[in-house]
Amino acid sequence: MIVQLLGLFARRLLVAIPILFVVSALVFVVLRVLPVDPAAMSMPPNATKSEIEAKRQEMGLDRPLPEQYAIWLGKTLKGDFGASIHFRRAVSSLIAETLPATIELALLAMLLAAGLGFAGGLLLFHWRGTWRGEAADLGSTMLMSAPDFLWGLLFILAFGVLWPLLPFTGRLASSFARPVHTGFLLLDTLIEGRLDMFLDVLKHMLLPATALGLAFSVPIMRVLRSSLYEIDHADYIRQARLRGVSEKRILLRHALKNAILPTLTLMGVQFGFLFGGTLLIEVIYSYPGLGNLMVDAVRNADLPIIQAVALAYAAVVLVINMIVDGLYLVLNPRLRAA
Amino acid sequence: MANALTRRSLLGATALGFFGLQSLASRNRARAAEPDAVTIGWPQDVPSWDPNQRFVPDAQPIFKMVFDQPLDQDPKLKLIPNVVKSWELAADARSLPIELREDVVFHNGDKMTTADFRYTFFERIKAGHKVDIANSWRKVTDIEIVSPTKAVMHFDSPAPTAPQWLAFLGSYVVPKDYMEKTGVDGFRDKPIGSGPYRLAEYELNARIVLERNDAYWGQKAKMRRVTFEIIKDPSARVAATQSGEVDLTISVPVREVQRLKNEPNLDGELNPITRVILLQVRDDLGFADQNVRLAAHHAIDKKALSQAFYGGAAVPLSVPATPGTAAYLDDYRFSYDPELAKQLLAKSGYSIEKPAKFTFASTNGNFPSDYDIARALVQMWKKVGIEADLEVIEYAKYFELNRGAKLPEATLYSFDNATGDPEIFAGYLLNPKMPFSAWKGMEIGQRAIDLFNVANYDERVAGYKTLNKDAVESGASIPLLQSVQTLVRKKNLTYTRYENGWVRADTMAWG
Repeated sequence: MIVQLLGLFARRLLVAIPILFVVSALVFVVLRVLPVDPAAMSMPPNATKSEIEAKRQEMGLDRPLPEQYAIWLGKTLKGDFGASIHFRRAVSSLIAETLPATIELALLAMLLAAGLGFAGGLLLFHWRGTWRGEAADLGSTMLMSAPDFLWGLLFILAFGVLWPLLPFTGRLASSFARPVHTGFLLLDTLIEGRLDMFLDVLKHMLLPATALGLAFSVPIMRVLRSSLYEIDHADYIRQARLRGVSEKRILLRHALKNAILPTLTLMGVQFGFLFGGTLLIEVIYSYPGLGNLMVDAVRNADLPIIQAVALAYAAVVLVINMIVDGLYLVLNPRLRAA
Repeated sequence: MANALTRRSLLGATALGFFGLQSLASRNRARAAEPDAVTIGWPQDVPSWDPNQRFVPDAQPIFKMVFDQPLDQDPKLKLIPNVVKSWELAADARSLPIELREDVVFHNGDKMTTADFRYTFFERIKAGHKVDIANSWRKVTDIEIVSPTKAVMHFDSPAPTAPQWLAFLGSYVVPKDYMEKTGVDGFRDKPIGSGPYRLAEYELNARIVLERNDAYWGQKAKMRRVTFEIIKDPSARVAATQSGEVDLTISVPVREVQRLKNEPNLDGELNPITRVILLQVRDDLGFADQNVRLAAHHAIDKKALSQAFYGGAAVPLSVPATPGTAAYLDDYRFSYDPELAKQLLAKSGYSIEKPAKFTFASTNGNFPSDYDIARALVQMWKKVGIEADLEVIEYAKYFELNRGAKLPEATLYSFDNATGDPEIFAGYLLNPKMPFSAWKGMEIGQRAIDLFNVANYDERVAGYKTLNKDAVESGASIPLLQSVQTLVRKKNLTYTRYENGWVRADTMAWG
């Protein structure tokens, strides 16, 4: 199986490279075609025409588009994403500072979405044909109807202001000195052996992660329920019933294992959207991740950051899909046999 | 039985979850204030910890806590000594001798000398460091060091506002030895200043923690610890203030200030500051006709705009300067007169039936109520015979159009000037050689250009006073309102209010 997994990862990597090339080229061209002038944005009001023009040349914006892309690509392949126009420091360092926060938030959101989705899916299936099932279905539709940023604002109002139970800005209380190891604060606090800090980080993540994950839990619920419906009529399930196996055991030990596969594929696809959803949530919750950085970059026409972050998002989504495909291989013996 | 078990399990799980949440929770409301610490909700992070690098007005109150400027301003914006204890601009404004204090020490213990001053305002720029102060100090040809505390700045042409710029954007003295040792990147990661606070902790787009510098040469701040929580979303800033997560915040919607004033432990303020909301206008296309420009100005009911969008706190302006600043004209008023507007338009053959047309640009969300003001102006103009085609532009787009001289006939803009000096108001707005100025007409423009070289302060101010009035009366300038800063704070938190909107943590106290 290890060999099969490695083979799968190698094939996915080979496919990922041209995908990233295409994404980078598309983003690059679109940004250059848009009517923004990053040179003008980066100069103060008392700048002269010649100073703005000199800035434009320094940024390479006066060169032909293919040449600009070739220069940028050459540097990117060496890990040099250029310097931010606004922050005037290496883009790679900005991404290194902010990407772990976003990944951590997205993973927690996905975990919550999966937890809620699986629990909800099982309940929806168990309550099928009853009034509870109908009510739960309606509830799940309502959950899905509100966008994540609306949940975000409602949670702040409810749990931050009206019943102030949880913090809603930043990643850690100001009374703690932030540990710096990996950038993944949950991990860093455990490395420091600080359970109090770990819990504080978790508290800070709870509202944004829930806001993000809530809407994504509903499709998981429904796909799981549909898969369970299908599997419910399978021969091996009927045979298990005939042998006197309990419904609970049939559901959890037999049906779920197979029903989970399409759900897993959906989660892989959803993660891409969820990762993109971190943008607005991070702004609302003042969460210092990649999304927050990207919003600043768009406002300031900071092209190097926009390009690099777009590439980072694409890379993360590809990696997640690779992991999901790997999990699929592990859980589905038919694929391993093939 | 199976259903009962499931319901019981579900209820049990819910109860567990709730109590679990409670154990994770902490009550935030009315968090007890530490007597010597304050938390401020701030709308924007610093662009970097090199204070010379970027001109970002919102970053100045933070930079002023960590770094020192050569000169400072008092709350009424009068220029006062700071680390430079005396200065005297030459009569021809081509040199500026300065004398530093002897007791200024950087946070690493290094004494501040004129070598640091020269490095900041001359050597860094010559070395090609990518800093915005390269633009403001481009006239500097040398800084002659006379002694460790005395130096003379030399300029290639008159620099009448050099003293003002020593207290303005980006002009902070950085330590030469330390910066040369660590490099610019290293300095940004571990900045050293000489200010009343030192940087204790920083997380990009999240938090800035400052600890008091007990070796500060000036008056020691009352707050031992200042935390800036970077909260970019205005709704989140409001919520953070209401929940007690922060003790003070700025730039919240006007209606929220009015609402939060009713909270028992909060105070809301609408403070007029040295920021002008105005229309940047062209002298060609649909605005080539002076009658149209003047009519557009006479048609605007500024009092109504202030009442509708700023609770009446924004002062209507007749000149591109704010009350209390040097070139403001206390006795001059440009009238709101729709009938006069119609007459002016009629002279040029326009009427309600045959309106004058031009394009009008505005941002949406760049400053409070910008788009609302723009829409109100369109309606006011319609009533007199002007049809303005309103175009919403992004903040980034404004820069592209402005620097490329492609702004439309009128653009709504908010222009900050912490010094209050008229060169930065009318001078920048009307100097046709500056890309920033949308106005390219030379009759008014040449006068603005000439004033940049007038060395004598009183003469310069007198010149700007006349220019301000003439610019308005020829339609070259259409000022609207003095902008207001919205601020909400805990009732028992005091601070010193500055007329330019600086919110200085070193003036804060619990009392």
